[in-house]
Amino acid sequence: MSTVTTIAKIRPRRIDRTGLTIHLFLLITGLLISTPIIIAFFTSFKEPNQIVTYPPYLLPKHWTFANYATAWTATPFGRHLLNSTIQSGAIVIFQVAFSVSAAYAFANLEFPGRDWLFYLVIGSLMVPFELVFIPNFVFISSIGWANTYQGLVAPFMASAFGVFMLRQFFLTVPKELHDAAKIDGASNWRYMWQILVPVSKGSIGAFAIFAFLSAWNQYLWPLIITNSDQMRTLQIGIRFFMNTLERGADWGPIMAGSMIAMGPTLVIFLVAQRQLVKGIAMTGLKG
Amino acid sequence: MAQSDATTSQPTASSLGAMPTGRRWNKLRAAVEGYLYLTPTLIGLTLFVFWPIVSSLNLSLQRISPFGNRFRYVGLDNYIKTLTSPDYWETVRVTLFFVLGTVPTGLILSVALAIALAYPLGRMDPVYRTLIFVPVVISSAVTGVLFKWLYHPVVGYINYGLLQLGFIQTMQEGPNWFADKTWALVAVIVATTWRQLGFNVIVALAGVQNIDESYYDAAKVDGANAWQRIRHITLPLISPTLFFLLIINVIYSFQAFGEIDVLTQGGPGRATTNMVYSIYRIAFVDARDRGLASAQAYLLALMILIMSYIQFATVNKRVHYQ
Repeated sequence: MSTVTTIAKIRPRRIDRTGLTIHLFLLITGLLISTPIIIAFFTSFKEPNQIVTYPPYLLPKHWTFANYATAWTATPFGRHLLNSTIQSGAIVIFQVAFSVSAAYAFANLEFPGRDWLFYLVIGSLMVPFELVFIPNFVFISSIGWANTYQGLVAPFMASAFGVFMLRQFFLTVPKELHDAAKIDGASNWRYMWQILVPVSKGSIGAFAIFAFLSAWNQYLWPLIITNSDQMRTLQIGIRFFMNTLERGADWGPIMAGSMIAMGPTLVIFLVAQRQLVKGIAMTGLKG
Repeated sequence: MAQSDATTSQPTASSLGAMPTGRRWNKLRAAVEGYLYLTPTLIGLTLFVFWPIVSSLNLSLQRISPFGNRFRYVGLDNYIKTLTSPDYWETVRVTLFFVLGTVPTGLILSVALAIALAYPLGRMDPVYRTLIFVPVVISSAVTGVLFKWLYHPVVGYINYGLLQLGFIQTMQEGPNWFADKTWALVAVIVATTWRQLGFNVIVALAGVQNIDESYYDAAKVDGANAWQRIRHITLPLISPTLFFLLIINVIYSFQAFGEIDVLTQGGPGRATTNMVYSIYRIAFVDARDRGLASAQAYLLALMILIMSYIQFATVNKRVHYQ
């Protein structure tokens, strides 16, 4: 397919006014959209006395890691990074494992009440988080999980969206594969892990990336369920860090902290953009 | 899609009784196995979604002490208290204003960008995509922090930009974003629209690229110009995607929280306290009255449901499904 489009592209064209307008529009809007991140990036490498200046300017005159050092020592950013990694990692592992198994049952197995249960799972997607977060807080606190990793992870181990997305994909895997595996004496469990999962690793990967992003960027739940600096995630850490430093206008370390908080997701975005976009586009096309 | 294969081999109650024990045993085993695969997901959803719907309703009918150790059943008191409070209606007004500020701008901009990105762009294509999609990976907390810096009244890039473009003569004339009630709400709306844009463009672009090329070829043969092709082919054919985006964006805007907490904490005064922020403050910061907060959470959920229903009833008729 790529050869066809390439041929179309290299074919010499008249100076196309529409094309030029579109390129300009995309370039200007694109730069405007990414400006907040670009500014944060350069600000985080400026020397402390060059940050609050008038007029503001973009590139650091001297590049320095001082802001990162300040941020790292002024607040337990290292600990926040560890917390976010454990919290998001655990959520992704549980969501993928639970969703794969439920999606497999909904797509390939037959049992009474299956479709009814599927609609129940999908229905849960319509429940706004605000309706359930107070009872969840009361419940998690009552079993002593407030301010713990269990408390951060437990409410998000099951993912209705993951079940839905993976089931849609599993339905496209040829049924003959399942039958052949059965004839060869493979149990459902073995078929799921040794055939279905490897065959679907693209879709499962897209879901895992999506799940990681939502977990990493969570705000409301980590804000209420953690109450000590030691248990906060990066997102909550940066909020408190900004509130304490803002009066001193210490924007360099704050921007360094923001870079740390968005670093992993930016890296994923740059290296796995295709899978990420695929996962997100799927939410729209199937909805 | 699933219904057809679900019904094929499902036995009726009577045939089950007549079956030889071996087959019945197998059926039972298969059913149990199916449920086992679902168990982790169903337990998770029951504990943290389905049961809380019930217990939230129960909480909303109680008067609860700030430390959550004493409960007293008060019937609809929390709802009456909420609905008769001018502060509450102010949060509804802020919420609706917020929705009107974020959704139309976000949708129009993302459709325009999606149509432009669907154009054959050659080598620049991945560059534009990266620049435009990137907010999709940024959290609401970081968005808040980045914009707080951009909005700085004295040395901020936004006011400096306004100065350079000639909208204001000196930096002092520029809006003092977080001290002024209207500007504070605008500031939060801009930041939230920005973060939401990446997601919207990705979904809209998928919709545009899903359109069969032959429609455009036919239109070209008929001599339709670019605008006519957008108006009569692209927009009608992506209307299901647009409708999905509309519903999702309205729901997301109703739930805006992170940017508000980081940028304004609901202020100045209560100028940016939307319904969600009010629930959070009542439950966890000010009165710690979780009964009252639960009542407001129920009202919020009800409002989201009604808004979605209205959109289905009115807009959906005009959506063109292929």
